[in-house]
Parts: sequence; C-alpha cells; structure tokens
Amino acid sequence: MSFDVSTLSARAIRDGIAARTFSAAEVVDATYARIDAVEGAVHAFNELTPELAREAAGRIDAMVAAGEPLPPLAGVPTGFKDNMNLVGTHTTCSSKILEGFKSPYDCTAVRRLLNAGALPIGKCNMDEFAFGSSTENSAFGPTHNPWDLERVPGGSSGGSAASVSAGMVAVSLGSDTGGSIRQPGALTGTVAMKPTYGRVSRYGVVAFASSLDQIGPFARSVEDAALVLNAISGHDDMDATSVREPVPDFTATLGDGVKGLRIGVVRDMLELEGCAAEVRSATEASVKLLEGLCAEVGDVDLPMSQHGLAAYYIIGPAEASSNLARFDGIRYGHRVAEPSDVLDLYMRSRAEGFGPESIRRIMLGTYALSAGYYDAYYGTAQKTRTLITREFEAAFERFDVLITPTSPTVAFKIGERAEDPLAMYLSDVYTIPLNLAGLPGVSIPCAKCGTSGLPIGVQVIGKHFDEATMLQVAAALEGALALDMTPPAFPLHRRSS
Amino acid sequence: MARDRLPVVLERYEAVIGLEVHTELTTLNSKMFCGCPVEFGGEPNTRVCPVCLGLPGALPVPNEAAVEATVLAGLALNCEIAPFSQFHRKQYFYPDMPKDYQISQYDLPFCGLGHLDIEVDGDGAKQRVDLGAEPYATRIGVTRIHLEEDTGKMIHVGGVEGRIAGADHSLVDFNRAGTPLMELVSEPDIRTPEEARRFAQKLRLILLNLGVSDCSMEEGSMRVDGNISIRLRGETELGTKTEIKNMNSFKALHDALAFEIVRQADVLDEGGRIVQETRHWDVTAKRTSTLRSKEQAHDYRYFPEPDMVPFEFTPEWIDAIRVRLPELPDARRERFVRDFGLSPSDARSLSEDVEFSAYFEEAVALAGNSLAKPLANWALGDLSAYLNAGPVALADAKVTPAMLAELVEIIDDGTISGKQAKQVFAEMAESGDAPGAIIELKGMKQVSDTDAIEAAVDRVIAANPDEVASYRAGKTTLIGWFVGQVMREMRGQGNPALVNETLVRKLG
Repeated sequence: MSFDVSTLSARAIRDGIAARTFSAAEVVDATYARIDAVEGAVHAFNELTPELAREAAGRIDAMVAAGEPLPPLAGVPTGFKDNMNLVGTHTTCSSKILEGFKSPYDCTAVRRLLNAGALPIGKCNMDEFAFGSSTENSAFGPTHNPWDLERVPGGSSGGSAASVSAGMVAVSLGSDTGGSIRQPGALTGTVAMKPTYGRVSRYGVVAFASSLDQIGPFARSVEDAALVLNAISGHDDMDATSVREPVPDFTATLGDGVKGLRIGVVRDMLELEGCAAEVRSATEASVKLLEGLCAEVGDVDLPMSQHGLAAYYIIGPAEASSNLARFDGIRYGHRVAEPSDVLDLYMRSRAEGFGPESIRRIMLGTYALSAGYYDAYYGTAQKTRTLITREFEAAFERFDVLITPTSPTVAFKIGERAEDPLAMYLSDVYTIPLNLAGLPGVSIPCAKCGTSGLPIGVQVIGKHFDEATMLQVAAALEGALALDMTPPAFPLHRRSS
Repeated sequence: MARDRLPVVLERYEAVIGLEVHTELTTLNSKMFCGCPVEFGGEPNTRVCPVCLGLPGALPVPNEAAVEATVLAGLALNCEIAPFSQFHRKQYFYPDMPKDYQISQYDLPFCGLGHLDIEVDGDGAKQRVDLGAEPYATRIGVTRIHLEEDTGKMIHVGGVEGRIAGADHSLVDFNRAGTPLMELVSEPDIRTPEEARRFAQKLRLILLNLGVSDCSMEEGSMRVDGNISIRLRGETELGTKTEIKNMNSFKALHDALAFEIVRQADVLDEGGRIVQETRHWDVTAKRTSTLRSKEQAHDYRYFPEPDMVPFEFTPEWIDAIRVRLPELPDARRERFVRDFGLSPSDARSLSEDVEFSAYFEEAVALAGNSLAKPLANWALGDLSAYLNAGPVALADAKVTPAMLAELVEIIDDGTISGKQAKQVFAEMAESGDAPGAIIELKGMKQVSDTDAIEAAVDRVIAANPDEVASYRAGKTTLIGWFVGQVMREMRGQGNPALVNETLVRKLG
C-alpha cells in the first residue's frame, strides 16, 4: 500500500490504520524512510527512537487485529522536544551538561500522548535549555528551516517545528516560555500553540522558567493540534501548578465559524517598529478575511505589553538561574575530571557543560535576584507582569480573542543574529506577553512572503482556559486561507555548505 | 570550668539568647514534596524518587499534612496564622542539596508572632541574678514558625571523626532529603542557659503532645541552634552575637551556652571584640570553636517558589485545625491539680507525656477520683521504675490501667498491705495476671480479723518478756521490732495498721 506519510494528517493516519489501509508498522517504516531522506539536511532530531516506535506500533496493530477501538492518536508519528523525559531515551536539552543523562521517569504530557496511541519517533533539537529563538544554541549544531536550509527554523523548539514542517512527523511537542513554540511555528509554516498556563502538566519537562513554561503541540493543521491538546491537557497530581479546570473536546467547536465573535486587533503591536511590512500586511489580510466571515473586528492597544520583553528578561533568567543550579556535576551529567575540591567541581563542570547563552542567562538571573537588586529588577518585573495581565483582562472584556503577528519577521539566516542577543530577543516581542499573563496563543500560517516565499504566522490569543474559542477562530482562518504549507522543492534543497 | 564561672560572669553581664529549633515532622507518612516515606536511617539512597533527588523535570507538590502540622504547632504556641503565605527558594550550592536550592519560607511564613511561657525553679533559677534566685515564670516570644525541606546527609570518608576537615572524599545519602522540617525562631528573650533549656524542653513536650514529631535530639529529628550575645548589665545596646551549632542534647544546649557566655565575657574583659561567626559545640572537649565566619553575609537570593501557588488560609480552615489541638501539658497539669487534688509536681510529672497521662487517666476513671492520689504514687513510683529499668515501653507493658486501678482498690479496702502490693505489682508486670488472681493464688490476703491479730500479739508479748519490760520502761522505739515479730507470726498477712494499734494498746 503506498501512502505519503509526510503529508497525512494525524487523523488521516489513525483512520487509515483503523480502516486497515495501512498498518502502524508501515507508518513507522515510512516515517523513518522519510527521515532518512530529509533529516540529513534539516537536523531536527537529537535522537531517533525506532525501537520504541516499533514497539508502540506493534501494540496498535495488535489492537487492530483484535478489533479493539483505537485511541485518538493511534499510530501518529510524534516528535518530542529534547527537554522532555521519556524512559529509554536521553534527555539532553541540547546541552553538554546533561551528557549521558537518561531519565528513570516519563514526562506526564509525553506519557499522555503515548497513551493516546502516538508513536515516539525521536527527540527534537532545541536551543540549549530552551534559551534562544533560532535553535542555533544547541550543543549538537543548529536545525535548518525546511523552507530554506540556510535559515533558522526559529526556536527554541526549532527541531519540533522543523520535524513537522519537513513531514518527518505528523505532530510534535514543544515547550513555550516566551514564544518557543509559536515563533518557530510561524517561521516554519506550522500550526503551533501554547495552552493556558496550568492546562498541561509541566512534570517531566526540564524547567526553564517555572512560572512561564508550558508544553504545547506543533501540527500541520489546527485539528491535529486540537487532537494533541485533548490528549495532553488536564490536572496532574505531580504538578502543583496544573489546574483542575474541565477539559473540553477541543475539536468539537472547530467548525463553528467566527460569526458574531468579537476579534480585537492589537493595533499598537501591529505598528511596532521592527515589524516587517509583509508581516503587518499579512496580519491585516487575515483580519479582513475574518471580518468577511462575519466576525466583529475592532482595535485595541496594549501599551503595557510593550514592557513585556523587559520584564521577561528579568523573570525568565531569574527562574532559570535557580532551575539550572541542579546541574552541578554531583549526581548526573557532565562532571569535570579530577576536581581539586567541591567548589572546583562545581565551577569547572558548569563552565564546561553550559553553552554561552545558558551562561548569559544564569548570570542575568543571578544578578537580578541578588541582595540590593531584587526589588529594582525582580520586584518591578513582577509588578509589570501583573499590569500586563490586567491589561489583557480588560481587553478580553471587549473581545473574545485578540490577534497579533506571531513573529515580527520571517525566518532569518543562520548566524545573522547570533552575535546580537538583543535582536534575537526581539523575535519574541509578540509572544512573550502571553507567557507573562498565562494566556493561550496559537500561531497559524497566514501567508507566504511575497519576496522570499517564506511562511508568515499570525497569532490568535484566547482568554484563560478558552483555547476552544481561540482554536475555533484559527480553524476558520485556516479554512478561508486554504494555504499549502508544504515547503517548496523540498527535499531537493540541500545545505549549501 | 566555664560552668563554675558562669554565676560570677552573670553578676556583671547579661546574656541575650534566641533559639532556632528545627524539627523534622517524623510522624508524617511522606516527605515534604513527594511520596517517599519519612524514616530514620535505612540503606543509603533507598528512600528517594525523582522529586527528592531533584532530577531534571521533577516538580515539588506540597504535603498538606505537613502544612497542617505546622499550623497546628503555631496555634499551640499562640502564633498568628498568616492568611497569605508561600514558599521561597533559598539558594546556595552544597552537595547534600539535590536542587542546589532549599524550598523554605522567607517573608511570608505560615506562623507569625507567638509565645511560650516557661517556669524556672531549683538551681537553674539562680542564673537570674536579677530576680533573686527565686522560682519564676517568664514568657519567651516566638518570632515565627515556617516549613522547609531537610537536606540529605554527607558522609565524609578518611578524615577525623567523620568531619570534613582532612577527609579524602565525601558520599551523599539523600534518604533524608525532602523530609518536612519545621523551623521555629524565638525572640531574643532568653537570658540564661537554663531558660534556653527549659524553653527547648517545653517545646519538645508540646510537639510530642501534638504528635507531629518524635523530637529525638539524638537522631537529629529535633535540632537546636542558639544565637547568643552578652552585654554589661544595664546596657541596652545588643552585643555582637555568635551562633552555636551541634548541641545534641538539652545538657549540651545548656552547657554550650554557658561556655559561650563565659568565653565572650573573657574576650571582652581582655579588651577584645566578639567576632560574628558560627561556632561548633564539641561535647567531648566541652568548648565551642569557630566553624565559619559570618562576617560576610550569605546572599541566598530568596525568591518566591514558582512551582507552587501561594497559600491562602481562611479563618474557617484555621478553625478546623484549631479544633484538632489536643490538651497541652500545662492545661492537663492544672486539671490534675484541680480535679484530682494532686500536688503540682506530681501533676506535672504525670501530665507531660501523652501516653503516660492517658494511662493514668484511664486508671483514675476506673478507680474513681478519690483514689487518684494513690494511683499517682503508683504510676510515678513502681510503674515508672519498672518502665525506666527495662526494655518494655508503656504501650507494651503487661500492667494495664485496669490492673493498676484494681490493685489500688484492693489496697484501699485493706485486703492487702502496701508491702504485699509491691509484690503483687512485680508479679503483674511479670505475668500479666490480674491482682485479684495473684492474691488468691499466693494466699496473700491481709488479715484484718481483730481476734487473730490479738492472739498473735498476745503470743509475741508472752514470748518476749525482756523486750516488753524495756518498752514499758520507755524504749518505745521497740514498737517497730514488735510489729515485725507479729507480722512474722502472721506470715506477713496482718494488717500493719491494726497490728500496730493492738500492740500499742496491749503494751501500754
């Protein structure tokens, strides 16, 4: 039976297996054949897990043979960001400091997805400890954007994004602390969402900033993203910040349209200096489309959110400096040879193990929390965060969802911003305020750039725990746009170097 | 010896002492942030999981029972319970701390200002030269009580006495890591080593009564550190303080503080200045020595623990905890004096321990309040002696409250003598048989039949004319000898009071 696993949706794969059009084992073979063909150019994975995938496929095929009903993501090839624990695999966070570390326990979200029938294909490359917006900060080398191999896929979940964009997996999980799912989603033309803070358990994902981190899906359609969200959502006893909100079927309302929904265009964000003209016009065009679908569109300004980037670069590094303290060479990971004493062991193991961006964030955060600076930095940042949250709450009294660009620019060249951290940090100017406010956001592809042909993403922002309405709007827009987001001439495109 | 010089030093100097008491909540089923059991000892690194090992991605979930136990302790110590509180991270690198930060509390502890009243009597009262050596009561403020996680344990190999100095390498055992640890900080209201000891002892009794910890100073489930400075009497400015660690018993607590007062006085008297530092009590050498300098304050970079949401305690929730407060030793002691007519010192001895006081009360309930005094004597006498001497704990003792009550009733109705009762008690403790059965079996009934006693007395008087003559000539101390002779005649079963009375009458 011939089928193209690189273009099939998660639902089509599951249904195909259920109908015995193809088996889960054949899906695994086709998946690794596709990976053989394109992974060399893209480098989306740190580790492939064919044994685990075949084992999982065997269980699905046995269910088919026994005539049992299949779970919702049965046989769906899935990638996991390499900061999520899965027994039998390494968790590297793309860092040398976790050298050799294999977790004895599973990340809750990963386990839930596997329980829903997903096949674990591999662990995806990322910026080291999720610090970055380009996946260049990986100890194992950068991931390349399938749309243009000389460009970055965004980050930090660049491997998860590229693996879906390049057709190597149908869906993947990323983590989003300041835009690390949505921004690479925009840059690779994939659907990428960050759920409400607390919607998905963080247990087993290596923490970057505990109050901002959230796991979410990449997919090639809004429906597939909703299917993944269905599987991973809900309270977890192992995460004190996961909530007991009821979890609706997020696919149920995808076809309900936008008629009468109040959609707010965040005008001052759209007009931000640094937002590329084609991004602005693509966003405006999306809004027009939604208006054409009888949504009630209006403008709103979120001036406080413009301070989000500054607040984020205090809170994020502050929490990260603390969360990364445990990588000390004592119990696991990289340990320096022949330490002279415990202090020497700490200092040299960490200096050798962490990459430059990790060291930068640890230093930023340590400074921000130091005696005498705490109030001026961390205290002020937390107040700013509260104000941003209130500003969103006020906007959501007038609107059901808000719309902004996802990233101010299309994918940039590898190396282009590597020496300029501030320019890199600006990549997340539209996504960061949501993490600070704990709000859900989804990026969907809304255009291809007229000059470069590169994908442009638009961000739909929902109310707390109202991912359903947010996805409903995204699905309506996706339907109206009817874009083909298969990377052009791929995989003929080869890395030039 | 420092202790001997303490009274002289205290004539001139006043000590200002505050205590920090760490108590492991050993009676809980699980650790502070995970489901691992809380137990002392065990093979190294067997009571661990991803959470208490701080593995990548693991998250802490607060143990609600530990939070409740801390609030319960706060209520017992008259503390204000915070309506809003939260955990903070205290950050420093050390190999016994898996995350390289300790989840603790900072400016928003569960329990705020409270107090504990202590009483000081005996020799200890003499340390308060300003109060004239009389027994006194004083109130010690409690600054706060908060909850945190304990660290693992380092085992230093190759050095002296397991200390780090000179060690070749160190091993870490994380079994203790994550054990719920309650920290109480007292106000610097303590003025003498004796007050410090009484405070710690009374705190221990209360925590034992609350059932939140086994409070073993030996096993480290209760650890007391002291902050101490001295100043000339009349001075209002505080002196420079030192912190004393490793005081592993109440005696060590007292002696270490006494040493430190004398040491600081010597330094000042020689024109020196006190260095702010942490000092280690060496129980063998009976002295404190520098552990580390505190002149450069550690920057722990405290910040709110983002893996947990803050706690908001409603008045209803706090009241629900308050209802669980058991009767505390002070209240019980007053009740024993009031209801049972016991002496204050007997009442105190009986009221301190939860199980022992419950045992006593059960016996009184069976025998009646009128027999409370003899029951108290038996509980504090033979029963305590038996428990102190042997390996048997109260819960396993064969002598039940019902048996003790029966024994006291039998003595009261004159069936056996007090001396016989001691034999019966020993037999009960050995066999677990009821006193009535033992008396029956051994034929130990006390004879109160006046005819039988009179006959025996007459026989003894007739057989010992010389002694009778001496007695009648004025040597009345011989009465004891006569009683002994009559008792022997009666094989020990005569009622001693009746025998005595009959002898006096017949000899007189």
